[in-house]
Amino acid sequence: MIKPTSWSSREESLLLLNAYIDDELDAASVLDVERRLESDAALKAEHDRLRQLRSALASQVADERASDDLRRRIAEIADPPGAVVVPLRSWFEARDGWRRLAMAAALAAFVAGTGTYSFLRQDPVSNDVAAIVSDHRRALLAATPYDIASSDRHTVKPWFDSKLALSPQVVDLAAWGFPLAGGRVEILDGKAVPVLVYQRRAHVISVVAVPHTGEHTAAPSRPETRDGYSVIRWRGRDFDYFAVSDVAESELSDFVARWRDAAIDH
Amino acid sequence: MDDKQLFAEAVLPHVDDALALARWLTGNLTDAEDVVQEACIRAFRAISSTRDANSRAWLLAIVRNTAFTWIAKNRPKVMVMTDDEGTFERAGLEMVEPQASPETMLIEKADSEHLHKAIAALPIAYREVLVLREIEGLSYQEIARALSIPIGTAMSRLARARSLLIQRIGMAGTGKAGAA
Repeated sequence: MIKPTSWSSREESLLLLNAYIDDELDAASVLDVERRLESDAALKAEHDRLRQLRSALASQVADERASDDLRRRIAEIADPPGAVVVPLRSWFEARDGWRRLAMAAALAAFVAGTGTYSFLRQDPVSNDVAAIVSDHRRALLAATPYDIASSDRHTVKPWFDSKLALSPQVVDLAAWGFPLAGGRVEILDGKAVPVLVYQRRAHVISVVAVPHTGEHTAAPSRPETRDGYSVIRWRGRDFDYFAVSDVAESELSDFVARWRDAAIDH
Repeated sequence: MDDKQLFAEAVLPHVDDALALARWLTGNLTDAEDVVQEACIRAFRAISSTRDANSRAWLLAIVRNTAFTWIAKNRPKVMVMTDDEGTFERAGLEMVEPQASPETMLIEKADSEHLHKAIAALPIAYREVLVLREIEGLSYQEIARALSIPIGTAMSRLARARSLLIQRIGMAGTGKAGAA
């Protein structure tokens, strides 16, 4: 067969293609890869195979669940059973005080360095984030994390309409490895709001839709972490959306990017 | 925040992911549990000195290093192949010839057992990169940092790992289609 490009650049194409699939390329390189995909059938075939592999891995590789016994053994590393609680002595307090001071300094340096004040400001959004994370955790403890189970957005959207007389955009991301699992209703700040539930392998991603209130940016926020859960928020057409999950931050960012892309088309 | 709280926030939420990585690296659950427990002890010792923003990637790096220590001690043969890095990295990073059309490629339909076997059969240097990316969802940079390798090396190992998987699964797929 004819090789359209030289051997070494073929290798480079493969690396770029992998980086493209992994969302690791900058915008210019993305365009470059997409142009190449249009004109190069072999590359396109490889691209399709990589995508298939990814979705097979996402759907077929089950997540690991640590046994209660292992969990207990690990928790005991930091909290040995039968350890005597030593009453606080003055030197102990002093040491702790120093550490707190050092952390405050580190935090101040971080804030100054990044110019990010959002998590220090007393805005209602931060309180929402805390409430959203605890609701997500509660939902995970329930028998199912949704009130209506459906992978069909044409079922989920009308359900919200009938329950709440409002419905957020519901998009289908199964092709990207984030199948829709259903929806539930959550009470946030005294108001009932819709929550979309997606799956990523055995992980659950909740997307909370809050009708527009305060001012914040349209672009997705940087992921915030609370109690091991990541939260990303962004502004949609009529709602502010919050995605929360215990998947990796990069996966959640990927999810949010796909979600917003899909939402534009509706 | 005391060490116990730090441990509860930085380590405990990621025990399942730690176990998954350890299981893929050691090949069985019992050894994986031992590795995770040992890794968590190491993590606790280091907890007050770490300020890694991404506690998950930090813990997974510790699990990976603990697993390698364990493998070096218990399965020294597995480690041999990381010698001769240069030729190893360049070996066969070529595209699978597109002789099989997408219709006959049964990658998407590969069952879970088949897929597990194919991943487990990958050389460990490829397997760990694949698992960190596809199953643990780490970024290229996080993978490079966890493995202490240049990002370019992480990229070529990942590309190679995927090519190998596609070849193995795809071949079995076309075989099955041919028999049908």
